[in-house]
Amino acid sequence: MHDRHQIPRGAGRRALLAGASLGLLAAPGILRAQERFPARTIEVVTHSGAGGGTDITARMMMVQAPAEFGVELTVVNRTAGSGTAALAYAASKPRDGHTILLITQTHLLTMLRNRLPTQLDDLVGIARATEDPQVLMVKAGSPLADPQAFIAASRGRSLKYGGTHVGSVDHVSIFAFARAASFTAPTLVPFRGGGDIIINLVGGNIDAALANPAEAEAQIRAGEVKPLMALSRQRLAALPDVPTAIELGIESVAATSRGFAVLKGTPEDRVARLEEGLLKAMNSAVFQNYLRTSGQAPDSVAGRQVWQRQLAAFNTEGREALTTLGLMR
Amino acid sequence: MDAFLGGMATLGDPFILLMVVAGTLLGIVVGALPGISGSTTIALLLPFTIGLSPIAALAFMGSVYCAANFGGSITAIMVNAPGDPSASATAIEGYKLAQKGQAGVALGMSAVSSAIGGIVSVVVLIFAAPLLARAAYSFGPPEYFALAIFGLSMCAAIGGESRVKNLIAAAIGVLLATVGIDLTSGIDRFSFGITELSDGIDFVPVLIGLFAVSEMLEQATLRGVPATIIAYTSAKLPSWADFRKCNRSIWIGSGIGTFIGALPALGATTAALVGYAETRRWSKHKHEFGHGSLEGVAGPEAANNAAVGGSMVPTLALGVPGSATTAIILAGLMVQGVRPGPHLFTEQPTLLYAVFASMLAANLLYLVMGMGMAKIFARISLIPPTLLWPGVFVLSVIGAYGPNQAIGDVVVMLAAGVVGFLFRRHGFSPAPLIMGLVLGRMVEETLKQSMIIFDQSVAGFAGRPIALGLLLVTAIGLFGPALLRLVRRGVPA
Repeated sequence: MHDRHQIPRGAGRRALLAGASLGLLAAPGILRAQERFPARTIEVVTHSGAGGGTDITARMMMVQAPAEFGVELTVVNRTAGSGTAALAYAASKPRDGHTILLITQTHLLTMLRNRLPTQLDDLVGIARATEDPQVLMVKAGSPLADPQAFIAASRGRSLKYGGTHVGSVDHVSIFAFARAASFTAPTLVPFRGGGDIIINLVGGNIDAALANPAEAEAQIRAGEVKPLMALSRQRLAALPDVPTAIELGIESVAATSRGFAVLKGTPEDRVARLEEGLLKAMNSAVFQNYLRTSGQAPDSVAGRQVWQRQLAAFNTEGREALTTLGLMR
Repeated sequence: MDAFLGGMATLGDPFILLMVVAGTLLGIVVGALPGISGSTTIALLLPFTIGLSPIAALAFMGSVYCAANFGGSITAIMVNAPGDPSASATAIEGYKLAQKGQAGVALGMSAVSSAIGGIVSVVVLIFAAPLLARAAYSFGPPEYFALAIFGLSMCAAIGGESRVKNLIAAAIGVLLATVGIDLTSGIDRFSFGITELSDGIDFVPVLIGLFAVSEMLEQATLRGVPATIIAYTSAKLPSWADFRKCNRSIWIGSGIGTFIGALPALGATTAALVGYAETRRWSKHKHEFGHGSLEGVAGPEAANNAAVGGSMVPTLALGVPGSATTAIILAGLMVQGVRPGPHLFTEQPTLLYAVFASMLAANLLYLVMGMGMAKIFARISLIPPTLLWPGVFVLSVIGAYGPNQAIGDVVVMLAAGVVGFLFRRHGFSPAPLIMGLVLGRMVEETLKQSMIIFDQSVAGFAGRPIALGLLLVTAIGLFGPALLRLVRRGVPA
């Protein structure tokens, strides 16, 4: 890894020199800028281990980003405590824009549940990277494999939903969905990962699951899993025949989102520079292909206004859910 | 059949072949180094594979994956530091063999059994992947629970001299497995407010501490004791008689590894540990176990490499990764526009067979490379302990720190090293502890999941034939011999 830093760092310096001399010719105003930004390697901090979904998102962004920023980027994996260690690491660094966080809803829940020193108000969203809508799925051929039958059954008894651990994003989404639909409170069967959940859905161990379309794609194509309703505003391009929950009268939207953020106190012009560079990097062919092939929404990449609003909305939803579930500490 | 031949023919493409050779070499190296595992390497190289054709990218990733599992055994045997977590079972007997001056024999046996295990599993993958993948659907929490209990039931038998001490070590392992946020209640246990502990005690630092660090401490106590020159015989490779002796272990390991690997929730580490326990159970030379048994190297090595092919089964046939490494390979596949699932076998057979062919080639390649290099690696025994062990210690620290970049893991490693040292002094073995740590968490989680699924009624197990069958086999294994003795005693002579 060290070699990978060294060479491009030199390259970055050359680009810097080239840029400076160009600037001298073209726009003398640039010379007045106090310090060039970014000036050194940008660290992208994630709570995901190397090879995890969020880590891969960061690495896909980084294919194009060095060209946009003129410096190298490196991933810092701080896996402990569902985002706690990643947030603590970022908080230990100067707020100069050279440390950016790749966050998910998991971070927000961790901050809420554990009353960490860093809360949502201390974060500034820069850009959204991925947006993966959740779809309600059941086993194909089961008596629940029809939206109306499912809704009727859900109002009569507590259905078993597969999800990741108690107090997770899945748990909050299932809770919020069931509440919006006035279902009998569902039972969560916790699993370690999305793959386990789909397998257990096909195996008949659970009644339903909220999953991203890509997670169950093979099973949907094989006719083993039936997507009942999409928790998105519009129907999904990948599943055009699946109605949205809103169409069925359930006001519920849920998605797995990832995006970049910095800690508050980072100068405004640097936030703007980061937003611009990240958006350009993520609109590159490589990243767009990654979005398409991993089943993410095509309009995943969005600027800071959209992302900041979404973070705030999820924060409110998460606080309500965790309080009702008795999971706030 | 055309698709099969077409797939094999892709190996004739010099670039694909180059990718396989490069992947295999890289895999052996990163596998051998503690701290860089095959999965980390593939994750780091994922952006690089985007630029390749799908076949070249998969051939490369598949080769790294196959070879890394073998590479792990090199450091496990030579310096008691499993380079890859799946090689921990190999260290138990392998390092003892190296100390007896049979490093070359152990390394050679590891290469051969790894390759056989790997090839068996790829052949199974070729012919039975869609069929085997169906089995994954019949394995829910109750079945995994029964399987984990089956694995744990062997704890008393593996490792040290005394069954009581083995059970104590296993109990410590199970206790360590309870540290961290509980999956079903979301409550932090035994973490004392330390963030690093709330995710549970990671397996890798414990492993490195118990094996490598404790060995370094042990070596430190031998200062002043003249080192015995054992290395002259070290470079000897295994003989035909050695292979004949290990034949049965290799097949047991290959079978267990392929099956366990094919289950999405279990990986090569569990496969190797269960493979080790079962090898011992069916061995005719049980007394050699714990003192450097060649069968004890062959069984787990065949198992962890068979788990590689096995874990490709759910990855390719169900789109559900069978291990950490296949999760990354799956992401790589998707970026390439390959959609895994049952239809892959009918829609893109050439691509699939090309992947299988490259995995077969990687297995054969590391067999040749491994045999060739065994004599060189065996000379590590010639390095004076005063130079060797500090070097191993440096590697160990990096290895513990690397995966999570957390200094807390290094502390865990050092603590595990001291525990391991005390274990040795008092006749305990690290093997049951490792087994307790790996399987303990699974027993707890799957039992809790099962109880939620069964609405908190134990009677639910009655409706699960596979789980019941496994529990029955476990009960027979545990109580059968004792009952048999009782019956024999009851019959008048």
